[in-house]
Amino acid sequence: MTEIKLESRKAHHQVNIKKLWNECNYILIFLVIFIVFLIINGSETSWTSITNILLHSSIIGSIAIGMGLVILTDGIDLSVGSMFVFVGGLTILFYNITGSILLTLICALVIGGICGGINGILVGKCKMPPFIVTLSTMLIFRSISQYMMNEMGETRYRIEASMASYTALFEFGNGNVFTIPNLAWVFLFIVLAAIYMTTNMKFGKNIYAVGSNERAAKLAGINVEWVRIKAFAICGALVGIAAFLKIAKDTSFDPATSGMNFELYAIASVVIGGISMSGGKGKVVGIMFGAMAFTIIDKIITALGMNALLNDTVKGIILLIAVGIQMIQKRSSK
Amino acid sequence: MELLKMSNISKSFFGVQVLSNVNLTINKGEVHALLGENGAGKSTLMNILAGVYTRDSGSIIFDGKELIHTTIKEAEDIGIGFVHQELNIFNDLKVYENIFLGKELINGFRKLEKKAMINETRDLMQSLGVDIDPLELAGHLDTSKKQLLEIAKVLHSNAKLIILDEPTTALNNEEIKKLFGIIKHLKKQGKSFIFISHKMPEIFQISDRYTVLRNGSFIKCQDIKHTNPEEITRYMVGESYNSESMYETRALGEVVLELKNLSGEGFSNINLSVKKGEIIGLTGLQGAGCSEVIQTIFGVMRAKSGEIKVHGKVVTQNDIQTAMKNKIAMVAANRKENSIIPDMSLLENIYISEHVLNYKKQHIVKQREINKYTRLKELLNIKANHYGDAITSLSGGNQQKVILARWLNTKADIILFDNPTQGIDVGAKSEIYKLILELSKEGKTVIMNTLEIPEIQKIADRCIVFYHGGIEVELHRNEINEENVMLHATHAVHTRLNEKEEENDRD
Repeated sequence: MTEIKLESRKAHHQVNIKKLWNECNYILIFLVIFIVFLIINGSETSWTSITNILLHSSIIGSIAIGMGLVILTDGIDLSVGSMFVFVGGLTILFYNITGSILLTLICALVIGGICGGINGILVGKCKMPPFIVTLSTMLIFRSISQYMMNEMGETRYRIEASMASYTALFEFGNGNVFTIPNLAWVFLFIVLAAIYMTTNMKFGKNIYAVGSNERAAKLAGINVEWVRIKAFAICGALVGIAAFLKIAKDTSFDPATSGMNFELYAIASVVIGGISMSGGKGKVVGIMFGAMAFTIIDKIITALGMNALLNDTVKGIILLIAVGIQMIQKRSSK
Repeated sequence: MELLKMSNISKSFFGVQVLSNVNLTINKGEVHALLGENGAGKSTLMNILAGVYTRDSGSIIFDGKELIHTTIKEAEDIGIGFVHQELNIFNDLKVYENIFLGKELINGFRKLEKKAMINETRDLMQSLGVDIDPLELAGHLDTSKKQLLEIAKVLHSNAKLIILDEPTTALNNEEIKKLFGIIKHLKKQGKSFIFISHKMPEIFQISDRYTVLRNGSFIKCQDIKHTNPEEITRYMVGESYNSESMYETRALGEVVLELKNLSGEGFSNINLSVKKGEIIGLTGLQGAGCSEVIQTIFGVMRAKSGEIKVHGKVVTQNDIQTAMKNKIAMVAANRKENSIIPDMSLLENIYISEHVLNYKKQHIVKQREINKYTRLKELLNIKANHYGDAITSLSGGNQQKVILARWLNTKADIILFDNPTQGIDVGAKSEIYKLILELSKEGKTVIMNTLEIPEIQKIADRCIVFYHGGIEVELHRNEINEENVMLHATHAVHTRLNEKEEENDRD
């Protein structure tokens, strides 16, 4: 009798370890890459080089959090990169007129939210496949941004340096608080908010329910259409914040190249973060580690003096390895 | 002559014994009824025979040869044909393509010999006396013809033994007659049948011998001539069988739910009024409209016309959220597709619906939720370790209890059950019946759609029998029995009357 109990307890332990490993492998992948980075950097490693990882993850990371929420509902948003440029361009134009930092931030949030909301309505209400909807809006957003620039006879959206608040905006984009870059603080705040939303809010649980079994979620009373629309709108708003951060940091947007492939990097961060592409499974905090892992790869390549064009090769390989590990786990747990 | 001899077959799943030392012998050219309640082990036994599952122990001798580790394909090749209850027809393929799927005729250039296949299909259908065009898209056939197509498919692969798993559920009387004609015809040619059915009249009409299983054990094998339905039922349900034991008469309250001329997808002109604390069973053949009525009350499907009144007030907005606000709950059919949220824990699966009603307060107070969970777990006797466990780790019966807990958590007054005991074992079933009876004593109103008539007998105050989207008859508790219900569900009462009228006309 006691033997059986011991056996079952042992089995329970094994299950727990497996569960822990399944749920937290994103940290492992991040740690491996981080240690490689530390080894390569060696004595040159400084506090700044570490906080820089956060800084350089903040923009793509914010977008990836939005992407993660959409993917958790079993959707996908291919338009985030183009939307980033589109919202950024309009926000710069808005700033150049008003000169108010706060209004500009609100403007970025609202335009982003509307763009995401359009995706959401087409997917949620009109039941169109998210892949196709966001592929279409991806083409539309970038095309309009380029067209507007072309009509204005310029090549870049640029904020007017003559504005009274220009310095304040630029300082916000490039300053520190307690030795940590402002942008990194914003990113951390977004991550915390997203973690709270997905673990302690009813709406967050609805996101998981819809992604896990849409039909059951509907029959449990959840308004599936609204959950989808909101997830896309939040994703859009986060793209808006990312655009605002980019404006504060770099003061300009190139409609042809800014945000290029961001949708792919965002999806990759989500996947490395351990979120299931079929929705309903995974933790938002993983996305932060996924995004940072990608940023570190950039830095490793720079440190090694490799050709920057090889960046995507390395990233692609890392992504394949990450997914491979997750697949092996899935099979062994079955 | 023995065609098949299965002896001492045992099988367990995850440590649960589902078959223990079961014997089954089928003679050549006989129709053998395999009987037992749901969960008795019939399908497991058949799946072992057809190579879907492997047995733990025991031997199978088919046509003089011992079968060891048979695959589905091998079982097919040696002449065991399985017509499943859920049809395995490819709707997007034509009839002849379905027949020849996986064994297409090809010529020397590996090109399909369509003409030959079409002709062969036509001959096959003719020999069965079935009017199905080989070139018809299978999806365009009605259910009964699909059933016949499935049988034709099995016959075409030269099956010697054909397993028919509840083949008549979707058929009307005329079609059943035809099917039986075909079976008798094939019997003469030396084919054997294992016939699984719950309908006593059919069993006595078509079978030669029968075998009864109960809780995974062999109970009885006998000639059908030497028995009667009462005896078979006793074998099937065992000594413990007592339909009246749980039921008590209760005082019913005022009318809480009224349907007036309600019409919708699959049903029309339904009138029904249900009192507080009442348990109503809806039944009918598959597709008769019971499930659709329940789904319309809950707002999953929209009503086309007529009205639904809850607590005397007409429901103007026909959607799920409104139904929930009106304190209606629905335990949906097909638990896996419609109820289970597989990636969420027990706790989350239970609180998700209550949160829809209390959506304004967004923050989840976990301790409060755990307290509610613990109370419901005790109330429903859910066997689970930890609230954080995945719902998919529980047995079917416990999963269903979790779903019921989800709805009790919303404090609903009217609980709709759509086929609630589908795929759960006998023990859990009777627990669910007991729960339903207890709930009704506390004043909850229950409407249950089920295809299993004994279930209704056990708990219902009234039984509403549906036929072709309309209410055929309303039976009171003492009138509910399998034969009576089936007579109405299959419209047989009217068929008989019509026949009599015709006879009278002739006179």
